[in-house]
Amino acid sequence: MALTEAVEEKRKRVTSSSTATIRVWPLSPFVYLSRNSGKTIPLIGVIFMAVMLVSSIIALIDSIPFSVRSIYQYSKVMLGVSPRGDPSETPKILAEIRKTAPVPIERIMLCRVSSAQVDSIVGKFPFPMIGLSRPDMQYYLQKLHVNHIEGRLPTPGEPEALVSTPVAKNLDLHIYNPNEPHKLRDKSIVLSPDKQDSYSPRYVKVVGIADTPYWVMVNPIEYQRAYHFPPIDLGLVYAKNQKDQDTLGMWGVKHFEKRHAQLFAYYQIEKQTKTMFKTLYTILDVVTAALAVMITLMMAMLMNIYQSQRLIEFGLLQAVGYTRGQLLRRVFWESAIVVAAGWLLGVGGAQALLAIANAVLTAPRAFQIDSFDPVAFKYTAPLPIAILVVAGLTVWWRFHRFDPVSIVERRLV
Amino acid sequence: MYACRGVTLTVRRKEFLGILGPSGSGKSSLLYLLSGLKAPSEGDVTVEGQSLKAMNDDQRSRMRLKRFGFVFQQPYLLGYLNALENVRIAAPQGSSDSRAFELLDRLGLGEKWRRRPHELSGGERQRVCVARALLAQPQVIFADEPTASLDHKNGEAVVSMLNQHRADGSLVMVTHDVSMLAEADRIVHLVDGELQEAAV
Repeated sequence: MALTEAVEEKRKRVTSSSTATIRVWPLSPFVYLSRNSGKTIPLIGVIFMAVMLVSSIIALIDSIPFSVRSIYQYSKVMLGVSPRGDPSETPKILAEIRKTAPVPIERIMLCRVSSAQVDSIVGKFPFPMIGLSRPDMQYYLQKLHVNHIEGRLPTPGEPEALVSTPVAKNLDLHIYNPNEPHKLRDKSIVLSPDKQDSYSPRYVKVVGIADTPYWVMVNPIEYQRAYHFPPIDLGLVYAKNQKDQDTLGMWGVKHFEKRHAQLFAYYQIEKQTKTMFKTLYTILDVVTAALAVMITLMMAMLMNIYQSQRLIEFGLLQAVGYTRGQLLRRVFWESAIVVAAGWLLGVGGAQALLAIANAVLTAPRAFQIDSFDPVAFKYTAPLPIAILVVAGLTVWWRFHRFDPVSIVERRLV
Repeated sequence: MYACRGVTLTVRRKEFLGILGPSGSGKSSLLYLLSGLKAPSEGDVTVEGQSLKAMNDDQRSRMRLKRFGFVFQQPYLLGYLNALENVRIAAPQGSSDSRAFELLDRLGLGEKWRRRPHELSGGERQRVCVARALLAQPQVIFADEPTASLDHKNGEAVVSMLNQHRADGSLVMVTHDVSMLAEADRIVHLVDGELQEAAV
């Protein structure tokens, strides 16, 4: 039937003034969700909070092994050799390594170690002050990608030390300045007779800060030999590249197992970290699963209530000719959009929260939190999946038994 | 217990068929059987030779959407859609927006197309339902007491609109109020689920 001119004019006016309104299919999930924000926002909000909570907790817990790995990352480029209390063993072990190692050895150097401590998000961790000769110290720093040093290298034999930027931040240390007030000068002492945990008979001053992400504390080997106990030289063994270094580490630890020697390689730290936190992660799995079940049940109940409020809509649409499958698909997509939005916002929120926490609380002390921790986000994955599955099944069950005539006959409303 | 028993009825092309009967006589049940919303325990309903009984649920739904229009007792509309969108849901995606607007305009709601159901009166809401039933130019429009929730004047107006704008479609209307069937081509009486008499 042809339109009258007046109707055509009105139609043009209507369509031109509301193009967007008219073009959107009224039964699109976006139309329902955007026009029922009173229901959509709380649903998204619950998922958002749950995902943010789970991923933040996991990222915080994960920061413990992450701290361990970061703090001791310096050992990745070397193999440490200790003679288990017998100083005469050190040269023999090193000679054996040089002779039988499966990869070419680039450098072997002697060092002395005294103990210090650094702070972590869960308390203090032991950290070695490594005493090295000047050439060895330069090599050691070069292997840790130090390109710039603020201040200078410690003078051989003097109670001086060089630390890296993370250590300086962590312990709030700065370079020693004899002209500053006594109270401030305390902030440049890394080992001292007053410190139970970072002891040295003399006050060891920070004279240089190395610009590297590795955690580093080095001082002259001559000072350590003169003032620190026990009088045992340890060895540091370097391969030519990282691949060889990893091979050397694995080989060395196994080769000297149950002998008068103890070898330290980075892979052991990774392995021990995993073992150490296994129980913690098992507990986390249980807690996350319980949380996921709780949130899923809550969301299923909420979605069920909301779907109950839409019985007239479903009855009407089914009566006029929409199939159960079409209605199910529509509800599924609505739920999927809500769940995806909640999850994405939750992940984004957690990243923002952790980034703020990192900037304000942890970064200034060089504590380690990974705001983009993939493990944390992996833990949140069961939430949207479980919610979607339960919501889908709930709606399917409803439609399975649903009779549209009961709606249009007003038996159910 | 039977809602309808032994009913044999043919709805002819383009006719306005009134089904008259007191409350509880089985009129609505008959309408739901004819439109495929309910399945008969015995017997069959055929639409141009196609048996509704032989179709599955989805096929019957698709037939309703493509070939039938519905107006129910209550003016059921989706509260989050405006009048124009409520009309548009009765046609498959891609149907003409201008036809939906044209229908609303012809039913006197051209200026109110943007209004949500709660901003419309009962009569206006039922007119939106009429426009929705007419949108897909159905072969048959089933109206189940469409005037039940309206006053007499509005009721007459709705029936008249349905009758005027149904084009080549048939109209099957169930009512207990004979005055609403003044324009009907044929009226059948239903008493206790049985067809009692037919009048032209």
